[in-house]
Amino acid sequence: MKRELIYMDAKSSKFWTIELAGNSHTVTYGRIGTDGQSLTKSFASPEAARKEMDKLIAEKLGKGYVDAGGSDAVDAGVGGSDGSIPMLAFSSINRRDDIGQNIGTFIGKRVMDYDPEKPHKPDVVYRFRSDWENDELLPNLKHFTQTGAAAETVALVIGAWHGDNPEMTPEPVLDVLMQAKDRLPKLAALYIGDITSEENEMSWINQTDLSPLLAAFPKLQLLRARGGTGLALSSPKHENLRALALETGGMDVSVIRSICMSSFPNLEYLELWLGTDEYGANHAIADLQPILSGRLFPKLKYLGLRNSQLADEIAGVVVNSPLIQRLETLDLSLGVLTDEGARALLKLPPSPTLKKLNLHYNYISDELIRQLKALPLTVDASKPGHMEEDDEDRFVAVGE
Amino acid sequence: MLLSPQAASEAIRSGGKTGPIEVEGLLDLSQFDRPSLPARLHCYELDARASKLTSLPPDLKIDGRLVLDDCAVLTSLPRGLSAGSISLRNCKSLRALPEELSTWFLDMTGCSSFETWPESGTIHNGSLLLRNCIGIRSLPGWIGRLSQLNLAGCVQLGKIPENISVSGWLDIGGTGITSLPSGLQGAPLRWRGVRIDERIAFHPEQLSAREALAEKNAERRRVLIERMGYLRFAQEAKAKVLDEDEDRAGKRQLLSIDLKEDEPLVGLSCRCPSTGRQYLLRVPPKTKTCHQAAAWIAGFDDPSRYHPQIET
Repeated sequence: MKRELIYMDAKSSKFWTIELAGNSHTVTYGRIGTDGQSLTKSFASPEAARKEMDKLIAEKLGKGYVDAGGSDAVDAGVGGSDGSIPMLAFSSINRRDDIGQNIGTFIGKRVMDYDPEKPHKPDVVYRFRSDWENDELLPNLKHFTQTGAAAETVALVIGAWHGDNPEMTPEPVLDVLMQAKDRLPKLAALYIGDITSEENEMSWINQTDLSPLLAAFPKLQLLRARGGTGLALSSPKHENLRALALETGGMDVSVIRSICMSSFPNLEYLELWLGTDEYGANHAIADLQPILSGRLFPKLKYLGLRNSQLADEIAGVVVNSPLIQRLETLDLSLGVLTDEGARALLKLPPSPTLKKLNLHYNYISDELIRQLKALPLTVDASKPGHMEEDDEDRFVAVGE
Repeated sequence: MLLSPQAASEAIRSGGKTGPIEVEGLLDLSQFDRPSLPARLHCYELDARASKLTSLPPDLKIDGRLVLDDCAVLTSLPRGLSAGSISLRNCKSLRALPEELSTWFLDMTGCSSFETWPESGTIHNGSLLLRNCIGIRSLPGWIGRLSQLNLAGCVQLGKIPENISVSGWLDIGGTGITSLPSGLQGAPLRWRGVRIDERIAFHPEQLSAREALAEKNAERRRVLIERMGYLRFAQEAKAKVLDEDEDRAGKRQLLSIDLKEDEPLVGLSCRCPSTGRQYLLRVPPKTKTCHQAAAWIAGFDDPSRYHPQIET
């Protein structure tokens, strides 16, 4: 008997398999793409080995691993033969503590800063960025698009673009990408804004209208962006887009409206960091109604309404949403979710599809967490070790 | 005719524009100064707050939000009105909602004339906010599962129909509701925004002044005192007597109780001259005499001008 699990987030992309044989089991684990290492353990009886195996599997599932053969992870080898990105690889920032670091992996592949001096490495995702001393993002990106490697590249990460000019938007970056669109025929995933708070606070990042990218790259499957100021999707249409992730400290209602008026018929994954009014969030729960009504995205499997001040209110409405009968993952993590929202989530109706509830970083009491964990779902109600528990001051993950 | 939000707003505001008009986005008609909108209007969202609209066209089509807050002369809405959310805050002239209304979120806060529900409609999944809808005497039976139900200040409301349930909370502050239907048993309760439990809501006779005085949270303490009744609280808390005199109905007392981290509770204890019932009316804490208190209650800023011929 064998079980194969995989895990992907902003830092790593790992596999873990366990194989039971008589009264022993063998665990093999490592980075996806490597052989990993194996460890065999023997037990007094086959029953004991089996019991230990079940325990280990439950632990791994609790940590966010999924079955390699499951629908979450079709072609878990990443970028399968048809070029489709596995569902699991759309997610990036899973933990609060990931927010403070540049991503180590993107769509399950290792991220490397591009260096025009070095030979091209296959199977990595290049990141392009500037800092206040070296304004090299644009020259490096232009250089890369002239190389032969551009034709094979499936994903790009754009880091800090502002150099020594904090007012700068990524518009010049978008221009370079769009001018090079014919040399990037396989581009399927883009992250515009792998920027840590040390480089630029999320609420200070100057974003721009990203919809020209949608028009320029018809094969795009994933668009991830960070920063809410100036963010827009003026023409929200794309035939093939499967995942949209917008990370903001405070989302303007006009962005939500654009998403609600969009045409993304193949969208499976929608992750919105809604934020707080202190950082520009000016929406109310009613603005999310078109999303929650279920009429927008017929293929939606993952809905993340994260980093939200309204997490309790969202929980109260989402349990009544027809989407619950279609989603596989509901993610209300990184927000101000308290016992009130937890009580609402306890009323989640039975769903043939829902498997995961991500509530990482929350203000829920131990008693309610215990009750949530009794739901027939994988529930992540973990909290960062250094989370402040104060009844009066409750913050979203990005907003302190 | 497809128009940008800006162009549509300008065209409709200048008048003479006739439908069909389709607007991709938010149509801003706030403070619109005409009584009606063009027919065959379809927009994603409509914001016509503080406008002079008296009604909406029967074929109006809205996908997302409909905002009609502070439309003081709005008197009717079209049959079958449907939108993701509908906000009608402080529409003081609106007496009825239309038949077959359909929405997820309905905000009627401050609709003080509203009294008539349609025979059928759909309000579900989101919130129904009826704060200070002082005219409503009942809720319709067709409301199902909501996220939030705010009935605070619905002073004529005494009952909630059986099939209503909430996934979030229920606010019953200041209503006459004395028990919950089965679908709402165990629902988180609020009293004008303050979280309370069923004992505070439905068994105020079990509350004591000791419990109220021990409550650290000032908002919650105020609710406890309100639920107990000021008079019983003042009696149990052994209030200081600041002043004493007599009116037609008998002895009057000005009572004061100190509260932690809050202004003292000062009130005039008196009897109703008609019914003989004793009650306590709260007055500003700086009040010194029963006469000052009675004058303040009657609306006089200057107590020396208050000389009632008769109090009833």
